[in-house]
Amino acid sequence: MKKNIISMEHVSFCYKGAKKGLLSDVSLQVKEGEVLLLCGSSGSGKTTLIRMMNGLIPHYYPGEMTGEVRVKDYDIRTTPLYELAGVVGTVFQNPRSQFFAVDTDEEIVFGPENIGLDPEEIKRRERDVTEEFHLQKLLGRSLFALSGGEKQKIACAGVSALLPDIILLDEPSSNLDLRSIQKLRCVIEKWKRQGKTIVICEHRLWYLKGLLDRVIYMEKGKMTKQWKGDVFYTLSGEKIRDLMLRPLELNPEWMDPKGENVQGAFGKEKREGGKYIHFKNYFFTYKRHPYLFWKKRPGGMEGKSLQLNIPDLSIPVGSVVGVVGPNGTGKSTFLRCVCGLERDCRGEIEAYGNTYRGRRRMGLSYLVMQDVNHQLFTDSVASEVMLSMKEKDEGCCEHILSNLGLLEYKKKHPMALSGGQKQRVAIASALAAKAKLLLFDEPTSGLDFAHMVKVGNLLEKIAKEGRTVLVSTHDPELIAMCCDYVLSIENGQVSSLKKVENKLQWKQ
Amino acid sequence: MKRNLDPRAKLYMLFVVSIIVMLSATTPLLWCIRTMITMIPIMLLIKEKRYAWALRFFVLYALAMILTFFVLGSGSTGMWKAFLTGYCGIILQFSPAFITAWYVIRTMKVDEFMSAMQKMHVPDSITISLAVVMRFFPTIKEEYGCIRAAMKMRGSSLAGGNVWKMMEYRLIPLLFSCVSIGDELSAAAITRGLGGKVKRTSVVVLEMKSIDYLLMLFLTGAAAVFVFVKYWV
Repeated sequence: MKKNIISMEHVSFCYKGAKKGLLSDVSLQVKEGEVLLLCGSSGSGKTTLIRMMNGLIPHYYPGEMTGEVRVKDYDIRTTPLYELAGVVGTVFQNPRSQFFAVDTDEEIVFGPENIGLDPEEIKRRERDVTEEFHLQKLLGRSLFALSGGEKQKIACAGVSALLPDIILLDEPSSNLDLRSIQKLRCVIEKWKRQGKTIVICEHRLWYLKGLLDRVIYMEKGKMTKQWKGDVFYTLSGEKIRDLMLRPLELNPEWMDPKGENVQGAFGKEKREGGKYIHFKNYFFTYKRHPYLFWKKRPGGMEGKSLQLNIPDLSIPVGSVVGVVGPNGTGKSTFLRCVCGLERDCRGEIEAYGNTYRGRRRMGLSYLVMQDVNHQLFTDSVASEVMLSMKEKDEGCCEHILSNLGLLEYKKKHPMALSGGQKQRVAIASALAAKAKLLLFDEPTSGLDFAHMVKVGNLLEKIAKEGRTVLVSTHDPELIAMCCDYVLSIENGQVSSLKKVENKLQWKQ
Repeated sequence: MKRNLDPRAKLYMLFVVSIIVMLSATTPLLWCIRTMITMIPIMLLIKEKRYAWALRFFVLYALAMILTFFVLGSGSTGMWKAFLTGYCGIILQFSPAFITAWYVIRTMKVDEFMSAMQKMHVPDSITISLAVVMRFFPTIKEEYGCIRAAMKMRGSSLAGGNVWKMMEYRLIPLLFSCVSIGDELSAAAITRGLGGKVKRTSVVVLEMKSIDYLLMLFLTGAAAVFVFVKYWV
């Protein structure tokens, strides 16, 4: 019989300033070497639970806490955070905000240096971790130049170098593509084999199959259901959907539908009539040719060295097109180039009988960024929408807001809204700017199932009103739900454009 | 691992150059010292193989100098000449410190910086805050880039040319995202033991070599001559 390594007894917590308590009367025992999944919709208290296990609650996030939390014989309330550093390691959701150093090697040794280990020992651990996670290629590089998957790998290595017995992962796959998620799985597998106790809080469930010992379902701050790991993965699709969880298995056809490749098929038809949008001469490279005072713009001649190489592409007006492909193959670059954000890209858009070049592309298209916080400037939702209008029209503004279910928040500050509401405000201002081509950069990363369905339905609605939507995503579920076409990009080139034959119906 | 200058020497250089920048040069000898001091970071940039930036800084400084001494006389009048004089003055006055700071920040690792500060017995609270600031520069740059992109998409007529509004629209999202990143960043850092009572160790071995002493000696000498000539001769 293995002993309990984490034990929580009747724990309740309420964040400072919040009216309602987030956790109420939770009791949980985790055995040594157990792999545990916490699932449930956003706001159900998963992250709060994780924060109690690593001591950020109550030491970093203040609030009212009752009950007792013990982690490996430490009482969390009375143990200062730095003493827990060698005991509990945490991998966070956002790769860009969990790094202290600027270089990869510094980042790996950061933890061991903090707890004052001998430099020789630190170097030995760095060597071990490098070998274990196959990081040789990543050493000595700037963290700002790494992809999301590589960053998350370094974060795991940095946690591993502290040799903690307990590892907590807080939605670690949110910003990763399918390939990086597989690698993350390998890391978790390795930790499991080393006998570490692992607690994962996650919306994406498919990649954890076969790793979990126990699954806990949380609802409104309470643990309401429990399964053994292998039993959980035999639950039926309907059951999972009733629980508002993301599917347990992915169908490979969602990302790569069976239909024939229709790329080029639209180009042959007549270009007038406003039925298709044509993209021409989209070339771009991030590789900087050394220059002194002015730079050369990339053309079609360089071929393979380009990060984006799309000489000709047509998509039907009024459709939702999912843009897929691994991280770093040019999905986001393509979207940024389409709406004219990369000035070095000289691509043209032909649509509605016009040709849009340079800055005019911005009038036609609008990009809703992954982090919508960057796109909200004003102090109320209404003025945010009005800001995009050339002629201020209050009636039109109200119409757009009520269409998106935002009318009641008209006077509120955009930053006081929830993540999903912020996204809708950004969409509202795109509609107000009369954009005909809406681009979404990973709108569902880190969202729970219910919110993902909402986004999917919204994209469909926008397209039904005659606009065209391009959405880059790593969520096969989203594609299956709302996309009419799937555009796959590999190494900056279009590898196929396929029609989705039958969409899944996951209405709320 | 290849180590160039010791971070302490770099910090000392930044300190001395900042002092000299605060004093204006009046005689040819003083100008000579100032120019020499400006050339040091440029040479160091060349050594770091950052040729393009070295050349850019060199051209900027040389241009400002040529304009000031050979094109614009003291009696120059008119809008354009006044503007040019002002610009060149600013460049000549502050670019030594700017170039040095650019060099120091680009080439110093956070880890090196922290152990250098520890060796100089600076309290941890100061060191950590400064290290966070250093870590934050690239983040701010990244965030600002995103916000500018978002503004561009809303059209250039945003805020109707109202300078205050434009500032507000840029700064408020920047502050929001920096605050939230900073918050998450410090949460992540303390779960990994930052700010504990134990004495922090470091894998970086710092060692002052003769080149470091030479540079410091030279800088001290230059600063001493500068101050002496300016106030006592």
